[in-house]
Amino acid sequence: MSLLIVQDLKKSFRSPSGNLDPVLYVPEFSLQQYEQVALRGASGSGKTTFLHLLAGVLPADSGTVSVDGTSLHLLTESQRDQLRVGKIGYVFQSFNLLNGFTCLENITLAMNLNGSSDVDRAKSLLSDVGLWERKNHYPHQLSIGQQQRVAIARALVNQPKLVLADEPTGNLDPFNTDRSLILLRKLCQQWGSSLILVSHDDRVMEQFESQVEWEKLNEVATKGELLDGDN
Amino acid sequence: MNTIFISLILGWRALTQNTLTSLVAIFTISLSGGLFLGAWQTKQSVNRSFAQSAGGFDAVLGARGSQLQLVLNALFHLENSPGNLEWEQYETIRSHPGVSEAYPFALGDNYLGYRIVGTSPELFTHHQWKPGRKYQIEPPGRIFSESAKEALVGAQVASEIGLSLGDRFHPYHGLEYNPDTKHEDVYLVVGILEPTGTPVDQVIWIPLKGVQMMEGHDPSAATAISGVLLNLKGSSGLALDVKYNKQGDRATLAWPVPAILSSFFNRFAWLERSIAGLAVLMGLVGCLIILATLRSTMHERRHEFAVLRCMGASRAIVTGSILWQSVLISLSGAIGSLLIFLLLSQTFASLVRSQVGVSVGFPGFNTVALLTCGGILFLGLISAWFPAHQLYRSNLQESLNPYG
Repeated sequence: MSLLIVQDLKKSFRSPSGNLDPVLYVPEFSLQQYEQVALRGASGSGKTTFLHLLAGVLPADSGTVSVDGTSLHLLTESQRDQLRVGKIGYVFQSFNLLNGFTCLENITLAMNLNGSSDVDRAKSLLSDVGLWERKNHYPHQLSIGQQQRVAIARALVNQPKLVLADEPTGNLDPFNTDRSLILLRKLCQQWGSSLILVSHDDRVMEQFESQVEWEKLNEVATKGELLDGDN
Repeated sequence: MNTIFISLILGWRALTQNTLTSLVAIFTISLSGGLFLGAWQTKQSVNRSFAQSAGGFDAVLGARGSQLQLVLNALFHLENSPGNLEWEQYETIRSHPGVSEAYPFALGDNYLGYRIVGTSPELFTHHQWKPGRKYQIEPPGRIFSESAKEALVGAQVASEIGLSLGDRFHPYHGLEYNPDTKHEDVYLVVGILEPTGTPVDQVIWIPLKGVQMMEGHDPSAATAISGVLLNLKGSSGLALDVKYNKQGDRATLAWPVPAILSSFFNRFAWLERSIAGLAVLMGLVGCLIILATLRSTMHERRHEFAVLRCMGASRAIVTGSILWQSVLISLSGAIGSLLIFLLLSQTFASLVRSQVGVSVGFPGFNTVALLTCGGILFLGLISAWFPAHQLYRSNLQESLNPYG
């Protein structure tokens, strides 16, 4: 059964000059439960926008995204927020931990957003990513690799059905890249989450059995124009 | 509930992350609120406290002159005496059917700067300085004898210069202390008055004859008095006012005492208004600081909010955190206002008590304080409304890289 189904998804943005710039057109894409896919594409080609559309962070111009049987375009913004907090975990390239919160608090805050306060689960996850000793450290007191491991724990703490990772190793050295990647994939497997990981790093892509070329998936990138040219 | 709780946590963390600017905003608001409360409540409290400290007298009869000077001199032991009255004038007013109590007093001497006032012992045996309260003397003391060189010492004088029962002292001439003007007479302390919280505590009381017959005083003034403290029956004050102030030209009747005091304090209304105006301006500055604080942190927080939105936080949570940040600053400012008001009022009260002997009682958490705190919270919310609204309306794509 497909966890994620995308059909005829289009998005464009208005440029500073006032023109409507097409960014993305994905005729079809799907992801099975427990599947882990790597999406390769050049920087600035609309991959992050694609992830935002999948997460319901941005509204699509047209087309549909269905997550775990729920069509995002039928939901109100508030319902999309609820779906996102419960079913989608997001890992950013620049980690984006909240600076005023400790490692443990960054994780429990994500749980609070989901209406949960199971601190033991947060602690256990922090142990899984090897940072239990640093639970009370603030992000600026952590190394880059450690920050990303906290970000991974935060994304997975609500046991999401789908994890979206946007260049999660983009700022890491090779050692931490391998470590974070192994950790992310293992935890997704352990918690039963599907994974879409965006990267342009061959070293990362090689580790995935299932790889998708963004330029092939996104027809705007292929043809250089927005099909149907509407909005 | 979850939304409120999470936005409160986010608001609190934002506040602690910008500690310095938050503290500046809190301090400015506290100072402005404290000054505003002080300006608002000082006049009323001082007016009321002075009226209550008038020693339970309705009027004062004295030499021709200013009614205010008469009241300040006779009841608050401030200012100089406007002159003397003849003994006959005391006897005339004492026998007036509209007068229930009349106590003559004479002054002109001091001891180490504390005024010495001559009066009759009946002031301490008959007069109620407060409804149901007569002057009490600390045991085993007693009231001075009318014909002896004895003194009854006010509580504040006793504690400040250490006069106690059995002590003897030489009075000094004049109302200001001058070591060169020591009288030969020696007075024996026979009693210490219990504290009253009124100017009586700052006075040394001796028999009327003591002042009149003091060595070195003008013998021709041996029967003169400085004035008469009066309590009147019913509406007799009107008739006496006409008799002394409008038709007569030898004496002045200061009546009614509360109205005279009010007119005195009304002279300072401009000061009260100026302080209140200054406080309002400072309050506005406080609001602008809140606005500037929120706006200056908005840029960095916009990204944080985008991250939170990606994590599933609703618009209500992120905009609520802005409002909470402002509410927490305003609430701290409101509490700070009460503390600053408390500090200012206690300092002021202590100053008045030491200088004039009047115990100024300030109200605690009354309606005005409640309204001031409410006003501060309201202004804080107004200040936060614009950035919060702007954030609520902002599109997430503005905060996230749309071309990533």
